[in-house]
Amino acid sequence: MANTQSMERPGSLGGLPTLKTSLAVITGVMMLIDLYLIFMVAPTDSVLGHVQRVFYFHVPIAIMSFLAFFVVFIASLMYLIKRSPKWDAVAHASAEVGVVFVTLALITGIIWARPIWNTWWTWEPRLTTTMILWLIYVAYLMVRSYAPTQAKGAIYAAVVGIVGFVDVPIVYYSVVWWRSIHPSPVVGPFAQSDSLDGTMALILLYSFITFVFFFAYMVMERMELRKTEEALGHVRFTLRRKGR
Amino acid sequence: MLDFILLSSHLPSSNLPYLFAAFAVSWVVLFGYLFYVNRRQHEMRKEIARLQRVLDEDQSDE
Repeated sequence: MANTQSMERPGSLGGLPTLKTSLAVITGVMMLIDLYLIFMVAPTDSVLGHVQRVFYFHVPIAIMSFLAFFVVFIASLMYLIKRSPKWDAVAHASAEVGVVFVTLALITGIIWARPIWNTWWTWEPRLTTTMILWLIYVAYLMVRSYAPTQAKGAIYAAVVGIVGFVDVPIVYYSVVWWRSIHPSPVVGPFAQSDSLDGTMALILLYSFITFVFFFAYMVMERMELRKTEEALGHVRFTLRRKGR
Repeated sequence: MLDFILLSSHLPSSNLPYLFAAFAVSWVVLFGYLFYVNRRQHEMRKEIARLQRVLDEDQSDE
């Protein structure tokens, strides 16, 4: 009789590996098309020149970090209400990927600022609030690591994830509320309808969708890693109990 | 700031190293992170398999 026991690898997300592989392939193809659109189709900005193409990565990456921290906010709230480890896993994975995205938003912004503002960094509102956002979510990951137990770490991190999200709208509105040399928003309620050429807007939208897929794939990878960490912890615990 | 914009508009091609740097850093960070996650995953799976063998040997000795 055939063995009907599950042959899943430790830490695998059940039926999700197929979905994850499909997502990886779709993301890869979309990213290649995105690069073609950015370098071959997008018009060269008449004022800023070629360096303006950084915009098609910088803006979606920055928006994705906001989305990641929104997911952290919702998942943290759900964790505090339901105390289900699944919500904590989603918040943890999303926070880590969000930190990667906000780090990239800062780095690409710094590289873009040098030729345009003639400086790598300036303490203007958008950059300062984004730096604070980065620090908050690095603190989120540190709280989790340094907590005395995993359960306490999850609770402390959930509180930081909820309170820390307050900075996200501050980052978005910083260019509206205070005098800033950073350009006005091109996406959202304060975006001017004529701020972008039609082709540029379409390529930006495509780039954004590509990064949504990339984000989903990265979160799934991180959640699978957490499952493996838990499985390893379980095996080690069993061995300790046996005195090995 | 306007001076800087006008200055850069005269020599748009001079900004190409910045364009290259921004995209290169983006790829290195994104794929570096995925590589790090996959490597840890692989190492942990190997460790689980090793410890599982120890557990199985214990059970067969009993």
